[in-house]
Amino acid sequence: MVRRYLKKEGDRLLGEILNTYYLQIGSFILINIMLAISVYVPLSSGQLSLGSAGFMGVGAYTSALLTLHFDLPIVVGIIAGALVASILGVIVGIPALRLSGVYLAIATLGLGEVIRVIFVNWDSLTKGSVGLTGIPQLGREILEFARGLGFEPSMIGIKNNQFVFLSIFLVLLILVIAILWFVVRQQNSRVGRALSSINMDDRAAESMGINITYYKVVSFTQGAFFAGLAGALFAHVIGFISPADFAYHRAVEVLIFTVFGGSEVIVGSVFGAFFLTLMPEVLRFVSEFRYIIYGIILVLLMAIRPQGIIDTNLLKIFKFKRSKGGVR
Amino acid sequence: MLLEQLINGITLGSIYAIIALGFTLVFGVLGIINMAHGEIFMVGAFVGVTTTGVLGWPLWLAFIAAIVVTSILGYLLERITLRPLRGKKGVSHLAPLISTIGVSILLENLSHHIFGAGNKPFNTSFSEIRINIGSITIYLVQIVIFVISILLMIGLTIWLSKTKAGKALRATADNLETASILGVDTKRIIILTVVIASAIGGIAGVLVGMAFNSVSPQMGLSMGLKGLAIIILGGMGNVKGAMVGGLILGLSETMLVAYGNSGYRDAIAFIMIIVILLLRPQGIFGSKVSQERR
Repeated sequence: MVRRYLKKEGDRLLGEILNTYYLQIGSFILINIMLAISVYVPLSSGQLSLGSAGFMGVGAYTSALLTLHFDLPIVVGIIAGALVASILGVIVGIPALRLSGVYLAIATLGLGEVIRVIFVNWDSLTKGSVGLTGIPQLGREILEFARGLGFEPSMIGIKNNQFVFLSIFLVLLILVIAILWFVVRQQNSRVGRALSSINMDDRAAESMGINITYYKVVSFTQGAFFAGLAGALFAHVIGFISPADFAYHRAVEVLIFTVFGGSEVIVGSVFGAFFLTLMPEVLRFVSEFRYIIYGIILVLLMAIRPQGIIDTNLLKIFKFKRSKGGVR
Repeated sequence: MLLEQLINGITLGSIYAIIALGFTLVFGVLGIINMAHGEIFMVGAFVGVTTTGVLGWPLWLAFIAAIVVTSILGYLLERITLRPLRGKKGVSHLAPLISTIGVSILLENLSHHIFGAGNKPFNTSFSEIRINIGSITIYLVQIVIFVISILLMIGLTIWLSKTKAGKALRATADNLETASILGVDTKRIIILTVVIASAIGGIAGVLVGMAFNSVSPQMGLSMGLKGLAIIILGGMGNVKGAMVGGLILGLSETMLVAYGNSGYRDAIAFIMIIVILLLRPQGIFGSKVSQERR
């Protein structure tokens, strides 16, 4: 009797945790974390990129068109999308990065607008402002694949659509962890130290023999790659995209994730994307005034706490507390 | 046909030049790209629409109202978003850029909430007056826009080079600290700069409303982007460059619309940015030394 009750309760809890709505929000948070990192990496070398929405769009459209028209597997499409975005990053980055960060900000802002204009006007390929529909969905493809191996979602007691959303969430989670691992590893490497020295003072870095243009292009291109990757994943998670998804507002939103959370440390980007994606979901009335609030947040942050909510000092306090109790 | 397109192009170019002037003034003195300038321009246009359309004021009063409102906005912009960042230690050079982006999305979405998303027509009988010379039609508005832009340009140049305030402004632009030591009230000069730039943006807003007969919250972004493209083209912080760059962009956009694919007119500004950054990063009129790595 008790055992049966417990099993029932367990199933109910499982069902609640695997609520597709929560899983979807979780997936959006993960995509946004990826986007926030795409701004964080260039910013860690002192370059402000406002083109993340544009790169995201390039990744999304490339992958969507390849999978729609050439029947390529989604994985190939996503990789191609990220690569095309990063090639574009190199092309735009080299002329802009020879100069100061201000030029890059303007050039990337312009780039984002042009990409949107091309999406709207290249009717034969992109279906104009209506956008692309029926893009192969990542979750369904995984389900097909799992079925091919003789696996059924009912075998572990979940429904098909729960499995779809869960698999998307897990794939995104693995990717985000991999990206975080890569960025953290890079920060502690020669490249990372070169980037932070450029951020501190590019002239001093140059006089120390660091090829600043090369490293700036590297960090900017990485940002473009991550944005393209996030865009391609976005296309295959949602299933439909339109130019409006990749407008200037999206770029500003992504910038706010990083600037709000903290642009000095990578935890800041993760926190910013997490908090600001969740906030409009939890507080429904906020979502209508979201951009107004974003604007106020940016102005206040720059005046009061330009490094964002989480900075190195805050992290030090946590580390100190932890090391007190732990083994040292 | 060609002549008419040329006139259209010059009109458009004059408007771009006026907008670029606002960017160039602020950049010249403060070394800051004011991302909110496009939105201040948009507010000016909306003030024009409301005063002439809803309240039924005459046009000259609409200009004054737009100038007053945008000047106040400019003052608030300087006091609230730019001054707290100036001279503060440990603030990255990107902070004012990000801060003004905040102001820009705030203003855009505020006017979106107040006025709605759609285009607002600009009801004034003035924009219907036209002159026929042979087969060519010239609207009076086009002449007015061109004249105003030339007057602004000449006035600004004379003011900068001949008057005491203009000289103080140039001294501040050259070196803020030295100017301050030599007795220039730099705080006042900076406020003056931002206010004048914003007022010029407000004038441009009303002019655009008259010329294109439509005003929307989104116009600030595209116009702002073009203004930025022009100051890169003409040379950052250069008044003459703003005028020439504006005319080049206006003419090439009009020609593309007339003889090519009109959907891509917004792409020209960006292509210009990339080409100029590759070939002559200091801009057409910029001097190499002062603009490098700013």
